[in-house]
Amino acid sequence: MRFSDQNGKMSEIKKKIQSVLPGGAWNPPYDTSYLPPEHSDVVIVGGGVIGLSVAYWLKRLEKPRGAIRVLVVERDHTYSQASTALSVGGIRQQFSVPENIQLSLFSVEFLRNINEYLAVVDDPPLDIQFNPSGYLLLASEKGAAVMESNVKVQRQEGAKVCLMSPEQLRNKFPWINTEGVALASYGMEYEGWFDPWCLLQGLRRKVQSMGVLFCHGEVTRFVSSSSHTETTSGEEVTLKRIHEVHVKIDRSLEYQPVECALVINAAGAWSGQIAELAGVGKGPPGTLQGTKLPVERRKRYVYLWHCPQGPGLETPFVVDASGAYFRREGLGNNYLGGCSPTEEEEPDPGNLEVDHDFFQDKVWPPLAQRVPAFETLKVRSAWAGYYDYNTFDQNGVVGPHPLVVNMYFATGFSGHGLQQAPAVGRAVAEMVLDGHFQTINLNPFHFSRFYLGEKVQEHNII
Amino acid sequence: MLKIILPTMMLMPLTWMSKPNMIWINTTTYSLLISLISLLFLNQLNDNCTNLSLSFFTDSLSAPLLTLTTWLLPLMLMASQFHLSKEPLTRKKLYITMLILLQLFLIMTFTATELIMFYILFEATLAPTLIIITRWGNQTERLNAGMYFLFYTLVGSLPLLVALLFIQNNMGTLNFLMLQLWSQPMPNSWSNTLLWLACMMAFMVKMPLYGLHLWLPKAHVEAPIAGSMVLAAVLLKLGGYGMMRITILLNPLTNSMAYPFMMLSLWGMIMTSSICLRQTDLKSLIAYSSVSHMALVIAAILIQTPWSYMGATALMIAHGLTSSMLFCLANSNYERTHSRTMILARGLQVLLPLMAAWWLLASLTNLALPPTINLIGELFVVMASFSWSNITIILMGTNIIITALYSLYMLITTQRGKYTHHIKNIKPSFTRENALMALHLMPLLLLSLNPKIILGPIY
Repeated sequence: MRFSDQNGKMSEIKKKIQSVLPGGAWNPPYDTSYLPPEHSDVVIVGGGVIGLSVAYWLKRLEKPRGAIRVLVVERDHTYSQASTALSVGGIRQQFSVPENIQLSLFSVEFLRNINEYLAVVDDPPLDIQFNPSGYLLLASEKGAAVMESNVKVQRQEGAKVCLMSPEQLRNKFPWINTEGVALASYGMEYEGWFDPWCLLQGLRRKVQSMGVLFCHGEVTRFVSSSSHTETTSGEEVTLKRIHEVHVKIDRSLEYQPVECALVINAAGAWSGQIAELAGVGKGPPGTLQGTKLPVERRKRYVYLWHCPQGPGLETPFVVDASGAYFRREGLGNNYLGGCSPTEEEEPDPGNLEVDHDFFQDKVWPPLAQRVPAFETLKVRSAWAGYYDYNTFDQNGVVGPHPLVVNMYFATGFSGHGLQQAPAVGRAVAEMVLDGHFQTINLNPFHFSRFYLGEKVQEHNII
Repeated sequence: MLKIILPTMMLMPLTWMSKPNMIWINTTTYSLLISLISLLFLNQLNDNCTNLSLSFFTDSLSAPLLTLTTWLLPLMLMASQFHLSKEPLTRKKLYITMLILLQLFLIMTFTATELIMFYILFEATLAPTLIIITRWGNQTERLNAGMYFLFYTLVGSLPLLVALLFIQNNMGTLNFLMLQLWSQPMPNSWSNTLLWLACMMAFMVKMPLYGLHLWLPKAHVEAPIAGSMVLAAVLLKLGGYGMMRITILLNPLTNSMAYPFMMLSLWGMIMTSSICLRQTDLKSLIAYSSVSHMALVIAAILIQTPWSYMGATALMIAHGLTSSMLFCLANSNYERTHSRTMILARGLQVLLPLMAAWWLLASLTNLALPPTINLIGELFVVMASFSWSNITIILMGTNIIITALYSLYMLITTQRGKYTHHIKNIKPSFTRENALMALHLMPLLLLSLNPKIILGPIY
């Protein structure tokens, strides 16, 4: 403002002063309780079982109580498309990657003692209906050797798995047709299935009692600042840090910028989009900057059928060598099952419509061949859910991103996220609070393996 | 005195008429020059005071506080540059104007002769501070903080106005120099007790005393950096300065009336030090540490011995510089990680070694390491309170231990250990920040060479 030209400027000056002084038209303070806070130390994008598990362990492991402010941003509070709610709910230790086995073992211990972990004062205890019936993986001649070595690894890690020959199979499970089965591995302890919705609600309740804030909104933008540094070999690299998250409120144009120190990407099937928002993968392909997060949505169908002559109460979660699986559901001779489609038959993940022909063509025949009683069954209902499918090696991504330094990933579990959620939550919380993994070492699941090309592949996947 | 007041007033047109890219440079330079002028006042010739005019005077108590106030303005301006960089130009200028106005009122408060003028300016300092906290603070809680700050201080100081008017009626004057000579001993009676309370409560709230301290953590945490700096460094000392001035009128009643407040401040300093050990928010920790140090000052002023007055004065100056420096350090952390939680930004020594040196020195002065003036202040107060009552040595000793504990806890949590992954790319320390820390620390260390400047009128 220069006082050199006075004529005609007085009204302008007056207008300027008025614009600077606080509001002419007085608006009464309106209710903004639906908005997230303006500041949060940790923002967890995604309120499914992984996101809530991370929130739970962050609050549980923080050294002085109440140190960290955590905000969980979930777009859909009905969880209508979330993988957690639509999951079949199995938990097994029969993996070939040792870290997966360790994660699963801890998760089972968590689920078994869930009412000690997730107890809330004055609230009823949780009943996750854990059926410890075990998993039964069947292998043909081709896969028998792999199965044996897998079982050895599993036993080393502490899982209780036994190998069964076709003869023993027929003795134990008379309803199985062992044609084509060379070997089977049966989990005797710590395996089974449970109610994922109950776990989700239990975590939600507990986490809210620990002081985590929830926000019903969608993350639309990350505001970040970058700085250039040189690596030890002299090449220039750009490190980014996110310092603001724009959360858009549902069904409205309003958004709230949340200032944050850390972002945890637990968005499940939509993690790839969140990572793109943060600038992961924006660069020439083949470089670390250009490595995208290879997690995308894949649709999987689950069918519920009724078979009055079907296998009984002791039925484990059976996974056939062809990839089809089924498990008992409830006490009325109902069964849940499905099959992973091959790469060519991948359904369009745009919606969650169910293809019933898939059951007729791809699920029923192998199951009917394996369990003759399933030749007569009636499909009661079906639904579809998303896998947060890691197209690289179908195992989770856990840990920070090397370039966007304050974004941590906890996603990409490709169908076994629910069973690893409690352990993954603890691992991420340890990474955030201590800087390294303390109980289970998930360094093989780091993001940089996508750039370096080191696959952590399972030798038998569902 | 006009040689300080007029330039400070003229800093305001300077900000409004400077070119946009010269605002910070102009104001910082000129306020540094003003602070150099105020150094003249430190040369106190005798243990009487230097009468500058009919309405202003300085003596060995107010001169160091005046110098501290004027020294702090360039530091505040340097510290605010980053968080104001994204604001529109007019708002930046408004912010600087608020700071300058606050500076003006504070200068006049510390040098006021007439106690009513002191009171008016004491209240006037609330306005710019409130505006700074509520308009430029970071979180939604700043409104609550502003309300607490405003109403605690107002409720405490309204009785002071009544008391001052009453004294004016009785004595005929409130000119401080005359009051020194004309004051009569105040006998013990109900109305004199109320008069004592009315006089002292305003300053107790300002210090703050332990039971009335709730406004301080809120205000300090929610204020922007310049607000926190001026609150911690100078505004709290207003309370101490006022108490030291007004107790001249209140003898010998203070001997009996002081007991409850002595107990509150002795107990309070241990309680607030212990609370510091459990804090997770860095600014909150420094705010509670301020309460703890000021409790020592209250205890010293209430004892009213020569040594305790010397200790109180030294402690006020030392704490002003140390606390302001700690807030600047916490702010430099906050600007980088956008979070005030201590455990989310650890292991900074490896990433920012020079800043770690400043952290170390600030923590060491906070825990009163010899030979800094912090130690001189604390030591004099401890010795005086020991002679007042032997048992206080236990409390004082416990406080010194806990102060050392939380200062080192703060240092170790933020600096040592393995750094977290998500602070790998924080920006290195700016020259501006390093200069800020150095300018805080340099007077502190230089004063330990010649502490008699800050030991007050009793020396």
